[in-house]
Amino acid sequence: MEYNGSAIIAMKGKNCVAIAADRRFGVQALTLSTDFKKVFQMNERVFIGLPGLATDVQTLYERFRFKTNMYKLREEREITPSTFARMVSSTLYEKRFGPYFCEPVIAGLEKDGTPYICTMDLLGCITTPADFVVSGTASNQMYGMAESLWEPDLEPEELFETISQSLLNAVDRDAISGWGAVVHVITPERILTRTLKGRMD
Amino acid sequence: MPITHEYQSASPVKAPVEHRFSPYTDNGGTALAVAGEDFCVVAGDTRQSEGYHINSRYQPKVFQLSNGSVLATGGMYADAVTLVKRLEQRLEWYYHQHEKKMSVDALAQMLSVILYHKRFFPYYVWNTLGGIDGNGKGCVFSYDPVGNYEKHHWNCTGSAGHLIQPFLDNQIGFKHMQGIQRRFLTPEEVVRIVKDSFTSATERDIYTGDYVEIFIVTAGGIDVQRVPLKRD
Amino acid sequence: MFLTRSEYDRGVNTFSPEGRLFQVEYAIEAIKLGSTAVGIQTSEGVVLAVEKRVTSSLLEPSSIEKILEIDAHLGCAMSGLTADSRTMIDHARVEAQNHWFTYNEKIKVESVTQAVCDLALRFGEGAEGEESIMSRPFGVALLIAGVDEKGPQLFHADPSGTFMRYDAKAIGSGSEGAQGELQEHYNKSLTLKEAEVLALRVLKQVMEEKLNATNVQLATVTAEKGFRIHNEEETAAVITQLA
Repeated sequence: MEYNGSAIIAMKGKNCVAIAADRRFGVQALTLSTDFKKVFQMNERVFIGLPGLATDVQTLYERFRFKTNMYKLREEREITPSTFARMVSSTLYEKRFGPYFCEPVIAGLEKDGTPYICTMDLLGCITTPADFVVSGTASNQMYGMAESLWEPDLEPEELFETISQSLLNAVDRDAISGWGAVVHVITPERILTRTLKGRMD
Repeated sequence: MPITHEYQSASPVKAPVEHRFSPYTDNGGTALAVAGEDFCVVAGDTRQSEGYHINSRYQPKVFQLSNGSVLATGGMYADAVTLVKRLEQRLEWYYHQHEKKMSVDALAQMLSVILYHKRFFPYYVWNTLGGIDGNGKGCVFSYDPVGNYEKHHWNCTGSAGHLIQPFLDNQIGFKHMQGIQRRFLTPEEVVRIVKDSFTSATERDIYTGDYVEIFIVTAGGIDVQRVPLKRD
Repeated sequence: MFLTRSEYDRGVNTFSPEGRLFQVEYAIEAIKLGSTAVGIQTSEGVVLAVEKRVTSSLLEPSSIEKILEIDAHLGCAMSGLTADSRTMIDHARVEAQNHWFTYNEKIKVESVTQAVCDLALRFGEGAEGEESIMSRPFGVALLIAGVDEKGPQLFHADPSGTFMRYDAKAIGSGSEGAQGELQEHYNKSLTLKEAEVLALRVLKQVMEEKLNATNVQLATVTAEKGFRIHNEEETAAVITQLA
C-alpha cells in the first residue's frame, strides 16, 4: 500500500452513492504522474476503486473487466454492485497465499436503486457499512474527515461536496497521495463525474 | 566411575530465561490546540490506556501551568507527569529570579531545551502548548519528544491526530474552501469544532474516548469544560 | 593573643568583632583608586562614560577598554582593578546568552546584575567539598546599563555583591565630586544627548588631565540601537558641546 500511495473513499447518499480517488502515481516518495486512474466503471451502476500496488491495480481491473463482460454475456444482464463485490472478493481470495496488494472499494446502485458501498481487505474480506468506506494510505485522515462531515440522506450535490472535502483535506495530510482527485456521483438518472484540482505538493 | 551431576536434566540444552524491561509505554489519547485571535483552546481526552486495557476513564493529560498557559501531553503518561513537575519547578524559579511570570514564548523555548537535554533518553511525550503571547494573541506550539518545535495556529497530536488534523485544516484553516471570507473563529465556534473532532475521533480510535476536557484560555483566565464521549 | 584589626584583615570570611569584613571594605576602597566612570539613565536610554588614564604618550589609548558589551541590549562600565572585571563580564555574557538560549528572550538588566553579584560573593573557602575559585573579593565596581521590558536602567554593583539601581551614578577616584555634580544637574526629563554632555561635563570636572576624545570613552544603550560605543569622532562631537 505504501509503495505507490493512494486514497479512495466512497459514501452513501439519498438514492445515490459517490466514489472518489486521488490521481497520484508514484514510487515511494517520487511522484511519476498525476493523472493515474484508480477508479473504474464496470457498468452504468457499478464503480470500483483500487488503491494499492499500481501493477495489481491494473491487473485486477483487467481481470474484473473480463469477468464482468463474461457475466453479462452468460447472464444477459448487468452485474449488481453486491454481486460484483462477491466476485471481487473471491478473485482476491483465490490468491490467499500470494495476494494482490490491493484493498478495493466498491460503490454502486442495486437493481432497485438502493445505494451500495463496500470495502474489503487484500484477501477479500468484505465490510459493508451504512455510511462510508475509505481505503489507501490516507485512510486515517479520511476516517476523521468523513466521520465529521458525513450525515445521512445527502442529495447528490451535497454528497459531492462532502466526499470532495473529505478526500482533499485528507490527502493534504498524507505525503504519498493527492495531486488532484476524481469524483463520481452515481444516481439512478445519471453519473456525475468531476475532476478536482488539489495541492500539487 | 562416570562423572555425573545431580542437576542433569532430560533436556539437552538449558537456555537462560530472559527478562527484558522496556522503559517506555504508550498510554494513548489525543490532544489538540487552536489559537484564536485573542484566545486559545486546548483540549484532550481523558482516557488512559495500555494496549487493549483501559487504565482509567478520567486521568487528565492536559495541564494548566502556573504561568497561565496550558500544556497538553500525549504518549507516556509517567514521563508527562514528570515533565510537567519539572516545568512547574522551572516556572517558579523563573518567577522568583526574574520577578515576572514566564511568557508563553519563553516557556515554549524552555520546554524545547528541557526535552533536548534528554536527547538520548527522551521523555516519551508529544507536547502541545497553548496560551496567550506577549501581544495578547493566542498561540500554539507543538513538539516531538526530543524538543523539535513549531508555532502553529492549530494542531492535533496523539492516537487520533491523523484523523482530526485534516478536519481542523478544513474547519479552522478554511482549507479547500472557495468564495468565503477567511477569518478568526470565535471561542464558541472553536469549542464546537473541538467537540465534533473528539466525538468523531472516538468513533474510530480505540484509544480516544470517555471524556474530553476543553480549556479556553483568554486574557481574563481559563475556563474548563468537561464533555462526555462514548465509553466503548 | 591580641585581637588586633590586622588579624581580622586576613580572613576573607571572618567578621571582626564589630561585625565588619575588612577585606570587602578594602576592596571597595580599591575602587576609589580607579579612574572615574559615570552612568546616567534617561527615558531614551542610558549613557556610560569613563575616564581613560593615558599614563604615557607611548600608550595606545584604544587598548584601554573600560566599557564593554555584555549583550546587544546590555553594556557595562567599570572602575577599580579592571582585570578582575574579566571574570565578571565573562560570567555576565554567559548568563545573558544562556538566558536567550533557554527562554528565547533578552535577559533583564536586573537579572544580569544579580548574576554578577552572585559571582562577586563567591570569594573565600568553597562550600562542602567544593573547591574555592577565588581567594579574595573582586576589586572592581561595575555600572551595568541596559534596556529591557521595564525600559532603560542603570545598576551599580560593588565587590560586596550589593547592587542598586540609580538614575545617575559615579564610581572611581573622582566619584565623590562627580556624584555631587550629578546630584545637582540630573533631572528626569534629560534627553539622551543632554545626558551624554552631562556625563562628559562631570568627567571633565573631576579629571586631572584635560578631557579630549582619546582619554574618555562614551557609550549608550537605547531600545532602538542597543549597546553602542561612540567612536572618537562621535565623542569629539559631544565634547564640542561642553563649552
